Amino acid sequence: MKRKYSSVVLVLLSVLLILSGCAGESTSNNNSEGGSTTQINFMHWRGEDKAVLDGIIAEFEKANPDITVEMTIYPSDQYMATAQRMLQEGSTGDVFTSFPGAQFESLQKAGVFEDLSGEEFVSNFDENLITVGQKDGKQLALPYQLVFNMPIYNKGMFDELGLEVPKSWEEFQALCDTLLENGITPIAFPGADIGPNQFMNSMMMNNAPDEDIFAKLQSGEEKLTNEWWVKTLEDFQLLEQKGYIQKNALGTNQDSAMQMVASEEAAMLATGSYHMASLIGLNPDLQLDLLAPITVEESEAQYEGINTATFMLAVNSNSEKKEQAKKFIDFVSQPENAAKYANETGQHLTVKDVKYESEVLKNTAYWITDKTTRFQPRFLITNAQVEDAVLSSIEDVLGGAEPMDAAEAAQKIVDENRE
Amino acid sequence: MKISKSIYMFFIPGFILYSIFFLYPTVSALFYSLTDWDGFSPSFQFVGLDNYSRAFTGDSIFLKTIGNNLKFMLVVVIFQTLVALAFALIVLKNTKTTIFLRALYFFPTILSSVSVAFIWSFIYDPSLGILNQLLELIGLGFLTQNWLGDANLAIYSLAITQVWFHAGQMLIIFVAGLQAIPQDLYEVAKIEGASKWQTFTKVTWPLLAPSATIVVAYTTIQSFKAFDLVFAMTRGGPNNSTEIIATYIYKVAFRSFQFGYASAISVIFMVIIAIITYLQFKALRSDRISY
Repeated sequence: MKRKYSSVVLVLLSVLLILSGCAGESTSNNNSEGGSTTQINFMHWRGEDKAVLDGIIAEFEKANPDITVEMTIYPSDQYMATAQRMLQEGSTGDVFTSFPGAQFESLQKAGVFEDLSGEEFVSNFDENLITVGQKDGKQLALPYQLVFNMPIYNKGMFDELGLEVPKSWEEFQALCDTLLENGITPIAFPGADIGPNQFMNSMMMNNAPDEDIFAKLQSGEEKLTNEWWVKTLEDFQLLEQKGYIQKNALGTNQDSAMQMVASEEAAMLATGSYHMASLIGLNPDLQLDLLAPITVEESEAQYEGINTATFMLAVNSNSEKKEQAKKFIDFVSQPENAAKYANETGQHLTVKDVKYESEVLKNTAYWITDKTTRFQPRFLITNAQVEDAVLSSIEDVLGGAEPMDAAEAAQKIVDENRE
Repeated sequence: MKISKSIYMFFIPGFILYSIFFLYPTVSALFYSLTDWDGFSPSFQFVGLDNYSRAFTGDSIFLKTIGNNLKFMLVVVIFQTLVALAFALIVLKNTKTTIFLRALYFFPTILSSVSVAFIWSFIYDPSLGILNQLLELIGLGFLTQNWLGDANLAIYSLAITQVWFHAGQMLIIFVAGLQAIPQDLYEVAKIEGASKWQTFTKVTWPLLAPSATIVVAYTTIQSFKAFDLVFAMTRGGPNNSTEIIATYIYKVAFRSFQFGYASAISVIFMVIIAIITYLQFKALRSDRISY
């Protein structure tokens, strides 16, 4: 009998041990002065900014002794998959970030955004740069970073060779020819990872100046077999056939492509402004700027580059600590705190009156004020399978397919996935 | 001997774990495969067999993933089994050298798949990678390839990585199987004048069939589920040429938020693995003999 009971106790203990492993943790603590503190969670994908954000959070906690902030960071490629579940459960991500486009749409449908319209801190942001976080007249998220998703070029090399930034497709090809004649690969294209999804934006910006083009594609009004996309694919084909991008570009990842530019083997890196600090890190002598290929005649060009207002700050509607979460967004959107983030992470921000101190940021700040850029078209594709089809058609062409064949194959997938 | 009924209580923790991590997700997948659930909304509609019909008639990528998976599986099963068996025959005897070699061949298995993906992505890099550089160095420059960037080649390059990653694990199974074969049979074969090939085909292979069954079945399942390596090395590209069913399920569920449809593909995936494994068991069982 005794043995029987001990068996039962053992089994129950095992079950308890299993269940205790699944238990959550409390988030209400007492601070050193005896008062209670509220812990909020900030969920995002910028692991590379952790040290800078730790410093800003320490300042925030000093200014708000009754609030502590913990960070939960997921790599950006997992963030899409993980964020939604965590946010709905409500315990993680009192403050969280969202990508614009498909993720914003999907989180918005899930109802996890608290409406921030009317909050005082919204006025800290440049109103023209935060529209991407709006839906049905409500400000649901506030983009924080301002990224230029267009090629970085070696300005020092251009100056040395007497090259100027091209203003038309013809001039761009002439520039590439000159670089080739000098033994330099014009464009380092990381086709194995982010190359297609970054470079497609500037390659199509003037071929399809209509900002609703992808909305029309998804609704069936436009097709990838139409002029605007076939021309874009033909332009990609030309870059590949004339050797303007390196050989075997589809097998090159971003680290290798960056290395090509850092070692001055290549003149342009087909990614975006977010790689400028890393390139300078690899070769401090580089002088860099941004350049988007104009794929039409100069007179037809409507845009000079691509911008993305991203890292959209938001408050979780399922959170029980919304007021504390809003205080945190207010704090990071103060110009002096935003400047700390911008200068230490090497990124432009959507916050007004930020003083940029790093050379790279100062030298490229004119892209915010003086240039005509458009929001990254790729982020306006709200269906992930349509986005994959669009990107696959670029890979198909770079792999040797004819542009029209690649466009037809991609259009078939778009038709299969139309909602 | 009378067994106390309380002994059955010891099954409970295992059964609870099995139910939570296997039974419940499987039944859930079957249930959600009949719905249009997006993975987060509290409500959903029943759509009957629409998701299954879509997979076979309205989703060209899914059909491509089945083809890719079969290519991947064939290369991995054939090469991994052959490589593991060949190496097992080499390191069969227990000497200091062979024990060291067994550990060496087993070493890749203990690495994380992300590390393996990183190492092999570097090896395959078309300009900086050591594979192309080595080929150039030994005068075989004409064999250099865009290993992961060529849509016709990438799936096979991934398969080779998978073989390198897991052959050591299969080698151990083969070594155990080979060591269990009674030595008397080899002595009899020798006395009867059997050649090395005859000894292998008439003694070794038939008696190794149980181990081969395990190796082939396990390798098949492993190659179907090779999500991490494929995702970390190519993410299914270029142009979906390395998209396999597991990576596609992930994308449909977590990028497109079509959990109902992803569940239907998962159920189809489960059925495909079950059928192939059953056929393999049947084929390999017919080879089995005992002396």
